[in-house]
Parts: sequence; C-alpha cells; structure tokens
Amino acid sequence: MSEIAVRRLIEMFDAISSDIGAERDRLSELDGAIGDADHGITMAIGFSAVTSELARTDASSAELSSVMTAAASAFLNAVGASTGPLYATAFRRAAQALEGCDALDLGTCALLVQSIASGIRERGKGQRGDKTMLDVWLPAADAAAQAIAAGKPADAFWADVTAAAQNGANATRSMVATKGRAARLGERSLGHMDPGAASAVLIIGAMARTLR
Amino acid sequence: MDGSDAIPLRYGDDPYVWACWLYYEDGMTQSEIAEAMGVSRATVNSYLADAREKGIVNISIEPARLASLTVAQELKRHFGLTDCLVVPSDDNARPLIDRLGAAGAQALPKLLKSGDTLAVAWGRTVLSVGEHAGITSLQDMTVVQATGGTTASFPYTPELCASAVARAIAARCVNITAPAVVRSPELLQMLLDEPLVREQFATLARSNRVLFGISSLRPNSTIHTSGFFESVSLQDYLAAGAVGVVAGRFIDERGRPVAGPLDHRTVGISLDLLRRIGTRIAVAGGFDKVPALLAALRGGYVNVLITDAATGHGILRADGGTALDSRLSHRPKLVQTLSTYRSHVKKFLNNPNEVVEEMLDGVVKAHEKYLKPINGSHRALAARSGPRPEKVGLVIGGGTGHEPCFLGYVGKGLADAVAVGNIFSSPPPDPIVQCAEAASGGAGVLFVYGNYAGDVMNFEMAAEIAEEKGIRVQTVLTTDDIASSPIEDREGRRGVAGNFFIFKIAGAACDRGLSLEACAAVTRKANLRTYTMGVALEPGAMPQTRRHNFEIGPEDMEVGMGIHGEPGVTRERIRSADEITDSVMDRVFNEMKAAPGDRVAVLVNSFGATPLMELYILFRRVQQRLAAKDILIEANWIGHYCTSLDMVGASITILHLDQELSELLHHPCETAFLKIN
Repeated sequence: MSEIAVRRLIEMFDAISSDIGAERDRLSELDGAIGDADHGITMAIGFSAVTSELARTDASSAELSSVMTAAASAFLNAVGASTGPLYATAFRRAAQALEGCDALDLGTCALLVQSIASGIRERGKGQRGDKTMLDVWLPAADAAAQAIAAGKPADAFWADVTAAAQNGANATRSMVATKGRAARLGERSLGHMDPGAASAVLIIGAMARTLR
Repeated sequence: MDGSDAIPLRYGDDPYVWACWLYYEDGMTQSEIAEAMGVSRATVNSYLADAREKGIVNISIEPARLASLTVAQELKRHFGLTDCLVVPSDDNARPLIDRLGAAGAQALPKLLKSGDTLAVAWGRTVLSVGEHAGITSLQDMTVVQATGGTTASFPYTPELCASAVARAIAARCVNITAPAVVRSPELLQMLLDEPLVREQFATLARSNRVLFGISSLRPNSTIHTSGFFESVSLQDYLAAGAVGVVAGRFIDERGRPVAGPLDHRTVGISLDLLRRIGTRIAVAGGFDKVPALLAALRGGYVNVLITDAATGHGILRADGGTALDSRLSHRPKLVQTLSTYRSHVKKFLNNPNEVVEEMLDGVVKAHEKYLKPINGSHRALAARSGPRPEKVGLVIGGGTGHEPCFLGYVGKGLADAVAVGNIFSSPPPDPIVQCAEAASGGAGVLFVYGNYAGDVMNFEMAAEIAEEKGIRVQTVLTTDDIASSPIEDREGRRGVAGNFFIFKIAGAACDRGLSLEACAAVTRKANLRTYTMGVALEPGAMPQTRRHNFEIGPEDMEVGMGIHGEPGVTRERIRSADEITDSVMDRVFNEMKAAPGDRVAVLVNSFGATPLMELYILFRRVQQRLAAKDILIEANWIGHYCTSLDMVGASITILHLDQELSELLHHPCETAFLKIN
C-alpha cells in the first residue's frame, strides 16, 4: 500500500520537475519583467535536484513523510535564494503533516496542499495580496479544504484546486508587489504576473495530474 | 522595399515558400537569399523561422533516432546527469559492444580537454572505446589505470584498457604496477606504502575524469569469466545483495558499497574517490545490466552515461515514475520561433549550467594564497590566514555574478569566510553554517550581507543552526542603496556596492580584536554612513539564457539600478555623464549631512561592462562636486568592485568618515581584490 503511494509521490515530483523544466524560460522572462530573471532557472535547478535525489530513494522502504523530507533538503541545498527556504520549509511542514500516512487518498492530498501553503506563509511571513506564490497556494489550500468538506470526488477536488490556483495567479497581475525584489518596483510591477505564482500553478497542475 | 516584386511566378506571392526553397533545396546561405530576394538578412531569418511555425516546412527526424534522443533526455533529467548519449537499438548489424565503443569514442572529444587526467577502468566496452577513438588534438593528457592488474588470460585487462585509451588520445599512460587483488590486507598496505605505487595512486587521486564499464553479476557476465576475481567466491557478494561491479568494487541495488572478503585486498580506486571525480563516464549496455546500471546511477557514480536505447528504456522503467512512454508517443515540439534576428548574447562558456562551478575552480586556484575550500567545497571558502582565537569571525556571502564581490574580500584583516550561492541567488544555509564554523575563534561570528529576502531567510536559518552549535552570531544587513526606498524605509533598502566599505570596516574591527557587539555596532554605523546609487545603460544577460534580463530602450537609462539587474526605480532619457553624476550626488547630499572639512571615501564601481575610461569621467565630476562643498576625499577606489554580470552601468558610493571609521578603513588587510598596508 505504502509503496504504491510513495511511488506516486515520487512521480509527482518527477512531473513537477519536467513541467518546470519545460517552462523554465517563460518563468525567467516573467521574472525579468519585475525581478532578476532567474526564477525559472532557480526552480528548474531545485526540482531537478529533488528528482535526482528521489531517484536514489528506495520506494519499498521509504514513507510519504521521508520522501517530503528528502525533497526539502535536496531543494534547499541546490538553490538557496528565496525559493529555497520557502519550498524547503513547505516540504518539511508537509513531511510533518504526512507522518504516519501511508496512502495518498484525497484527505492526504488536501493535507499536502495545505501544509505546503502554511509552510510558505510561515517562512515568508506573507499573506494574500502581496503578489507572491502565496496568492496561489492559499486559495488552493482553501479550495482543497472546501472540496473535502463538500465530499467532492477526486476529479472535482483537483478541478477546484487547480482553478483556485490559476485564478490566484491571474489576480497577481493587478497587485502591487510588497515582498521580494519586485517590491522595489512599486507600481511598475502592475500588470505582470508574479513569477512565483506562475510556477506555483505549474506545481499544482503537476500534482493534480499525478495524484488524481 | 517590397521584396514581393522580385518573386518568380512559380512561388505565387508567397515569400515564405520562396525563401524556404532557396534555403533548404538550393542550399543558399541566408545572405545569398537576402540578396536574391532583395530583403534584409534579418527578414530572411524570420521568414525561415515563421515557415517552420506555420508548418510550411516540416523537419522530421528518423523515429529510431528520435526515440534514442528522447530516452537520453529523460535519463539525463531523471538522474540529474550532466550528459547522456544513447545509441539507437535497431541497428543490429554490429555487436552492441562495438556500437557502444564507437559511441564512447564519439563522445570523448566533447568530454575531454587538454591537461586532463583520465582514470580508466577495465572491461570489454572500455577497451572497445579505446579501439574506436582517435583524438590527436589534445595536449598534456594523462591516462591512469584505475585498478591494479590481472592475469593476461583475457583481452581486456586493466593494463590493456588503459594503454588502448592512452594511445587513442595520445596520452601519457600511468599503469598501476600491483595486482588488482592481493592475498592479504597486510600485503595491500605494504604495496600501497611502496613509493612507486604511492606515486601512481597520487596520479589516480588527481584524476578529473574517469571512464568505466559496469558489470552485472549475472552468470554470463564478464566478471565470472575474467580473471579479476578468480580467487574469491562471488557467492559471498551475491548473498550480501550485490547487483553490480564498478571499477572492481561491489555495489547493491541502491548503489551502496557491499562489504565482503575483498574489501581490504583490492588495489584500485575507491568508490568514494570515484564519486568525487568531476566527470564520471560510464559506458555500458545490454538488458542484463539494467539492475547494475540503475544501482550505479542511484549511487551517484555516473554523471555521463553512454548506453543503448533498449537498456536506457529498461533503466527508466525499472526505476518507475517516468512519463517516458507518453513522451515517446507524443512527438515533442521541435521547432522554436526565432522572434528576433539576434536574441543571444555572446559569452565565454563551456556548459552554461556549470558556470559557477567552473568559475570557482578558477578562483580557488587563482587566489590560493588567500582562499581555501572548507571541507573540500568551493561553495564555502575560508581565509588562508585562518580564524584567530578570541577574534570575532566575519562571514560574508551572497549570490555569484557580482565578482569580485564577495569572495575577493576574504583574507587577513577582512572577511574570514564567504558562502557562495548560484548566480544572483543566496547560498543555502548549509555552506553558511560551514563558514560560521570555520570563522569561529570562540569570540562569536558576525554575518554581514546585503538586505535581500532570499539572503535574509538563508542566513537566518544558518544563524539558528550556528547558535545551536554554540556559536554566537550577530548580523548586520547592508542597506546602502539610497534609490531603492525612501529614507523613511532606510531598513528596507537593499545592499549594493557599498558592501565594499562596510565589509572593510567590519573586517578591520574584527581584526583589531573588538568584541562581537562592538564589531556589529561599528559595522552598523558604517552602513548608515554609506550611500550608493547606480545607473544602468544596458541590461546584463544570464549565462544560462544568454538573453537580456530586461530591455532598456535605445535612448534610455535605468536610474536606481541594483546589482541583480533588477529594473531600477525610474527610467529616464540618457543624459551626459556630468548630469548623471550630478543627479546621483544631489540625492547623496540630500541624505549625507556633511559639513565643510568632513572627509569621505569614494567608490566608483562598474556594473561589469562599463570601462575604466568612463568610470574616471564619473569620478572627475564626483570630485568636483565634493570639492565645491569643501569635502575631502581621503581615499578612493575606481574599478570593478561589485558587478552585475555584463551589465553596462556604474554606481557611485560615498562613505562619510569619522575618526573611528577612518582608522578602520586604513587598517591593513590582504585579500585578492583589496590590499592595504
């Protein structure tokens, strides 16, 4: 049971890594408009470190929680930057939340999305409306909680979560950055989608595809 | 002009088809086509690119070759390999060993460079590489046998493999003149103590590339038929879970070393040493080797893999979790639009993903006198002078792309250690903690770095870990960029070229034996009295993308530019050098409350591509403005001190001195880029 779930979680990271890799240049271009143009590169480096670390993981003896812990340290050691501590903390919180879970049922998936969101909020000390990746993760976490409460099936659950994520990312276009390097730009950040929000949508999309 | 007038009738009025015909069928160059069509070369280039987008031209790749390319890319991505070459499996005319040997031979010129030391292990495939290769363009090459020797009862002994490869690349060959497996651990030790063998092993330890095969432990594998392990029972290793052999060492399915009777009797490269070599080329194929190859990949022994498509596919399937099959059925989009005529900036590069590592290789050698890697890592560098007991340690750091910031300021009297991140990215906590430990002399450690969200998070995490290890840490964030926020938000400003002065003051305070609190206090004072503003004329480009990070219009400049190429605060029409300097100095004077007779230090810094000639023109005006206010320049520096890759632009920094800061500024120091005595 656990081995199948562990494999799916590893597949999820594989899918994230390949989606981010495919969109690397677009993410960097988004970042170039309001930041320092390295977001796509940083994310690609981070997730490729995660997949190569997980390729060395023994699915038969690993647990969901230990996969998340391994992902956290691989990501952090590979990139640093600001995405490093943010996603590393997110994955560590997810590891704590998934402690003892051995199946990736919908409840666990919701827990995964929620703990990632709260890890990022905790490390970045941010909130919705700051024009960051939190504008994607927080609505996605809310949507996950609501879908569970409404007893929705898997397809509807992930449809809600990805729609909330995409709407959140679109909403960053009309926000003025207050965190990170884009904050220095003030109003000139208006009209641009936040690159961290764009990559969060890719991550959630890959999660939906593999965990559905 | 309207090129369509010149189109021959048979192309109708479609210039795309005409351009494509001339290019793909007639084999004309783009310049020739431009002339024939009466349009510019840029137009031809865009016709050709658009034609592919519109489907007028379809480029097809033979399916078997495409499949092997897809498998190679997937292997590379999945295992984080540096490179991967996969030969198509459909060509069964030649034996696999032969085809792998030819592929290896074809890859070697891309993987080897003059001056390399290449360790070569033994095996049929390795010998085949040697037999197929023929490179004459490399100089000062050394090939070293990776293990001891064996009986010559088979044709691919370690000696023969090493000499075949050495011959093929015109290298000096160093053989290991001892048996691969000896009778006892005592004999092993005696042999390794022999000066001759010791010298051979020293060469082996210097290897920067290694070429090896991978053997399975299945009954028909060479390991059973070769003479390598004739003296022991392989059953011992099989029982302990061994699935493969790498350079004479046994590994299990996760790539972990398997203990057994040969552990202290094998003469040859250790798995640890192998894994530390920069380029680790494995050439192996055949379905029976899938578990062994997977184990070697998982263990991190391989970063360049040469195999065949069937084996590659098998490895990926065995490891699960890949989207390979869907990718093989959906043909990847191969066309790429060329939106502008010239979209890439030229740079001196080998592998764009390795720029930081390659730069650090150079830095560590160039500045050996001042810097040493901490625990073998180039991402954490300590001063040769070392921490002194009871001296506060100074740790600085940040992303790369700002050279000589930050590593150029490590040495006696300045920083004790530097943590090095990726380009424009903070280092992660781990190297920062290593720096803190290396810099700690028992009196605490001072962290000084620029105020950026990423650096703050990583240095804060590192400070927490260092405190847990019993090292007291205080932090000073540099916030000298006066353009980055209004004065009310002084603490929210970013740290830029003024780092140069702030590091210098902090280093001197530490060197003079001040307490941690006193060091932090004077560093804070220096930060508050340092004022920087930058102006960019052209954007820089990241080595990985070779594209401009953003665009600045032909007549514009970006005022308030930081050191990460992030856009500045306002964009204005470019003005004369004096007018630009005046606008910077006006803002500095607005904040710096200097009285006539006060003293300052000045730094005019290039962002990378602006030459000294222009920096002196800026300095000239800075000096005039200061002199007019009767402010004295006590010291000045002009040049590349805190750059932003190849950005065109400059920043001006003024440090408002007082007696204490002046003494600390003149305190002796010796680093790669700043020496005061």
